[in-house]
Amino acid sequence: MPERLGSRFLAVVGHPVTVALVVAFGLGAVVIALTGGDPAAAFGEMLTGGFTGSGLRNTLGRMIPIVGMALAFSLAFRSGVLNLGGEGQMLMGALFGTMTAIVLPGPGPVVIVVAVLVGAAVGALWALLPALGQTMFQVPLLITSLLLNYVARATTSYLVRYPFGEPGAAFATTVAVPETNRIPDFQLLGGGISISLFFVVALVLLLAVVYRRSVFGYETAMLGYSGPFARYGGVDVKRKTLAVMGLAGAIGGLVGSHLVLGETYRYIDADMIAQTGFAWTGLMVSLLASNRPWAILVAGFFFSGLQIGGFAMERSTDVSFQLADVIQALVIVAVVSRLGLTWRRRRKLGEEIGPPQPEMEAAHVGEV
Amino acid sequence: MTTELELRGITKRFPGVLACDGIDLTAERGEIHCIVGENGAGKTTLMSILYGLFPPDEGEILVRGRPVRFNSPLDAIRLGLGMVHQAFKLFPSLTVAENVIFREEPAKLGWIDRSQATARVKELADGYGLAVDPTAVVEDLPVGVLQRVEILKALYRDASILILDEPTAVLTPQERDRLFEVMRRLRDSGRTILFITHKLAEVMAVADRITVLRNGRAVAELDPSTTTPEEISRHMTGRDVEPVRAGPSKGVGEVVLSVRSLTVEGAHGLPAVSEVSFDVRSGEIVGIAAVAGNGQTELVEAIAGIRDVEAGSITVAGVDITHLDVAGRRRAGMSYIPEDRHRVGTAAAATVAENLLMGYQRSDAMRRGAWLRRDAVVEHARRLQEEFAIRVSDIDVAAGTLSGGNLQKVALAREMTHDSPLIIAEQPTRGVDIGAIEFIHSRLVAARDRGAAILLVSAELSEIQSLATRILVMFEGRVVAELDPDRVDEAEIGLHMTGGKVASA
Amino acid sequence: MLAQLVDVSLWESVVRALIPVLLAAIGGLICERAGVFQISLEGMMLAGAFAAVAAAHVTGSAIAAAVTAAIAGVLLSLVLAFGAVSRGGNAIVLGVAINILAVGLTSFLLPQLFGVRGSFQPEGGVRIPGLVIPGLADIPFLGPVIFDLSILGYMALLLVPATWLFLFRTQFGLRLRGVGERPLAAETLGVSPTAYRYAAVITSGVLAGLAGAQLALGNVGVFTEGISSGRGWIAVVAVMLGRAHPFGVLAACLLFGFTEAFGFRLQGQGYPVQITDALPFVVTLVALVLARRRFRRLLDLTASTV
Repeated sequence: MPERLGSRFLAVVGHPVTVALVVAFGLGAVVIALTGGDPAAAFGEMLTGGFTGSGLRNTLGRMIPIVGMALAFSLAFRSGVLNLGGEGQMLMGALFGTMTAIVLPGPGPVVIVVAVLVGAAVGALWALLPALGQTMFQVPLLITSLLLNYVARATTSYLVRYPFGEPGAAFATTVAVPETNRIPDFQLLGGGISISLFFVVALVLLLAVVYRRSVFGYETAMLGYSGPFARYGGVDVKRKTLAVMGLAGAIGGLVGSHLVLGETYRYIDADMIAQTGFAWTGLMVSLLASNRPWAILVAGFFFSGLQIGGFAMERSTDVSFQLADVIQALVIVAVVSRLGLTWRRRRKLGEEIGPPQPEMEAAHVGEV
Repeated sequence: MTTELELRGITKRFPGVLACDGIDLTAERGEIHCIVGENGAGKTTLMSILYGLFPPDEGEILVRGRPVRFNSPLDAIRLGLGMVHQAFKLFPSLTVAENVIFREEPAKLGWIDRSQATARVKELADGYGLAVDPTAVVEDLPVGVLQRVEILKALYRDASILILDEPTAVLTPQERDRLFEVMRRLRDSGRTILFITHKLAEVMAVADRITVLRNGRAVAELDPSTTTPEEISRHMTGRDVEPVRAGPSKGVGEVVLSVRSLTVEGAHGLPAVSEVSFDVRSGEIVGIAAVAGNGQTELVEAIAGIRDVEAGSITVAGVDITHLDVAGRRRAGMSYIPEDRHRVGTAAAATVAENLLMGYQRSDAMRRGAWLRRDAVVEHARRLQEEFAIRVSDIDVAAGTLSGGNLQKVALAREMTHDSPLIIAEQPTRGVDIGAIEFIHSRLVAARDRGAAILLVSAELSEIQSLATRILVMFEGRVVAELDPDRVDEAEIGLHMTGGKVASA
Repeated sequence: MLAQLVDVSLWESVVRALIPVLLAAIGGLICERAGVFQISLEGMMLAGAFAAVAAAHVTGSAIAAAVTAAIAGVLLSLVLAFGAVSRGGNAIVLGVAINILAVGLTSFLLPQLFGVRGSFQPEGGVRIPGLVIPGLADIPFLGPVIFDLSILGYMALLLVPATWLFLFRTQFGLRLRGVGERPLAAETLGVSPTAYRYAAVITSGVLAGLAGAQLALGNVGVFTEGISSGRGWIAVVAVMLGRAHPFGVLAACLLFGFTEAFGFRLQGQGYPVQITDALPFVVTLVALVLARRRFRRLLDLTASTV
């Protein structure tokens, strides 16, 4: 059926994600050219550097925080809850997870499990603050969750410099996590990747099933589709808001704990502040993937590869690695601006409604 | 007399609906011309065309003898039309004067001449007896005053033809009488008023001429001095459509829904429902007949748990649900087909299967612990799709792609399938095609026959008359009459709904 | 001890701290009045700071720096205007994306154009010029506090009454408010919501860009990555707390400026910088909770994000 094949082709080409990628890489090329670089060479290095050889291994490692934070964001955003506090939830969870791993005696595996659970719990508590602010005081959590990032930065910086800091260190850091209490690596492509990767993939699987198969997944999705519909069907909106925020914060805390226990083995203040970018990359990945877990895995792989490829690009061309960030942000701007091409079938709401009804307009315009 | 406005053969089609079917209408300078008709008769569509909100498919509009085309309301305003919408189009945080002068501000170099603005608004208001304070902020004003502001807006723009769309729906009787005085004064100053209403008593009180619309057609032009409310009502409902009566009830059983002294607060702090008490028994359909805005929506939302109850109690099958949440009410045995099927009754982005599940996702049939029984959900959806003839290629299609009638079937199927003791059906057939209407009616009757208690709210008199075992008429937040559908005709119900009986009593 | 902490020089630093926030917040309030929720102030401020420093480096001119900063803000604002106003995209999500874009662009261009990372000090030591108003500056207390500022500082303070006059006394201000409150009603009367919203968003771009210029070239003369450090978000909160009223927003900015200045002072007394850095955000959060139930519109907006 060539006709159908044709329309499928058009659907893929005209899909907002395709259009966004073209727009973003196109604008990226313009930026490179304007700043005196060679776009083709830069993009070539970026792709080979990110998706082949040891670069591929690094990409897989980077997927842990990026996919993790994307899952955290998606969990709340599916229900229409815009959690901009991923940074803070990650930092708070990381620091307390780390301190648990440092001070808790006992066999390594037990300590690791307890430590990441503490990290998750602290992340969850941090996320519940703005959620409670919204459900109890009607203060929009989108703004409070974001403001709390700055409070979390200051709090963790203070704690890691003073009470939790390594005495006599030149910079703010904790002592190293004992070797027994570190998350182990496995070997792949000639190097180590943290086994956290398996947990992230398992989380993708778990959330995919939960979203699709559970009462919780169903109710939270309906809440995101239409608040009035969910309320009409008996979904408790406040409880769901608290639940999704708590879970999102818990995942953030897990990711934070991994970044220390599985990667750096010390909570170094400056490093961790730099790593908060993962929260934002994760947000973008989730937006690109429309909050779907498997799509997040794919989009997370792609964005991770762009970032790792960015480093390779900087080494061999004169284009600095932050180009990856620029391209990612451009992709999201284009997706959110609905730059899909117009041959996609558009839903025509007005046509089904028929003659205008004054009550319907009143819902928009609002009666005085 | 000179003709101010003439409509010739105005026709407007929406998919599946012929909203206006060759309407002719002539309004003279200095007359109050009433346009009456049931919901869906085409009044609002006709006025929207006249005000430039959308163009007619066929027909022409003549203003003072000259054919005109309106591409936007602005064109209509420039040619001297003014419209007072049902939902006021005012800016709440602006003052009365600011609302009136908006975009036609008296100004010097961009600076608004506030004293001139206030003075001109005051002068206009005083000239027509429209008591308003130009410096008051609109959101602080009662509804009756807002309407005067809307009229001032039109007069400020020098409207010679004033369209009032159901202006009395939101007014107290005293405010209504003042409005009528203003309308007469405007008429005497040579303006033309198109007055759209349901309420026959009002028509008789102010009209100089009456045009009756039915099913998109102008079916009669009447002179109020020679006609009667009964005759108008007959034209509105039409003798040719003989209502199909549902078969007699198979026997009425125990009380299922019991509402006692229910009071619900509405907009502006006034009670939308006052002291309403009634029962609905197993095996009967109780119809609530009311013109939009008389408290029926608030009554239903209070029973469904979406709106707070101020006083009184609601019992379903012996369980006091007055303070239960929605989930608790559903467990107590309530199903609800809401009026707003696009926003409340369904979620456009969710699939048909997901829409069919809502409200029962926690029932034992549909879940095992925390998990949905996928097979049960799918089977449930397929069964309902077939049983209710929901025309959709697959149950995994987004509900937003369905037509209005099919979407309503989704909500209907979901709410009817669980054999709830109580079913609330709110405007269940609004905006759906004839085939779907018959189908929905037959399902409601079937539910009644299996012993459900059904509360039916509808603005369609014919629907209520054909389905209901008993009719409760609501007017201004109260139940004003209980009628036996076999002993009254539509004209009489209509009189109760429009307060005609109250006014003449 | 409190007397030591609160004196004229504290109020001088209060006013200096609030100026960039106030500039951005006025832009935000104009958008809010036009019915666009503007949360990309942070990103536009950051882009403005970078553009100002870059232009100062190349041209050595403060005027060129300010103009370039404003242009940078406008370019980003056009992204929001196009995506949210013309395409009907979600303004909140788009605003977040624009903020991320600004972070990415500035940290990309910094090494790309100037070969440095972290921070960059332009040649020539260009500053936004200051102006001591003769006579007035000698008034005790008030003189040093509000008559010894940069040009952009005066601009920010004068914009408060000017915005008030614009909104509440001019034709365009009236129409802007109408558009923001009831776009359909305004359109019916012949006022285009699209045009007014574009104008408002572009204005916020100019002002947030200038706020960035003031931030980078006001006192220090350097661009640092993330130099806006949450001030754009504080401006968003100021618009909320001040209920989009110029004097209310000024009051909210004063609260912020005071906590920042007070924090500096505490730092001088030996309190850890981390604690004093958090102070403005903690105070802002507390103020939001105290001012609760004023944010219905925003809650309604966020309820429909998917």
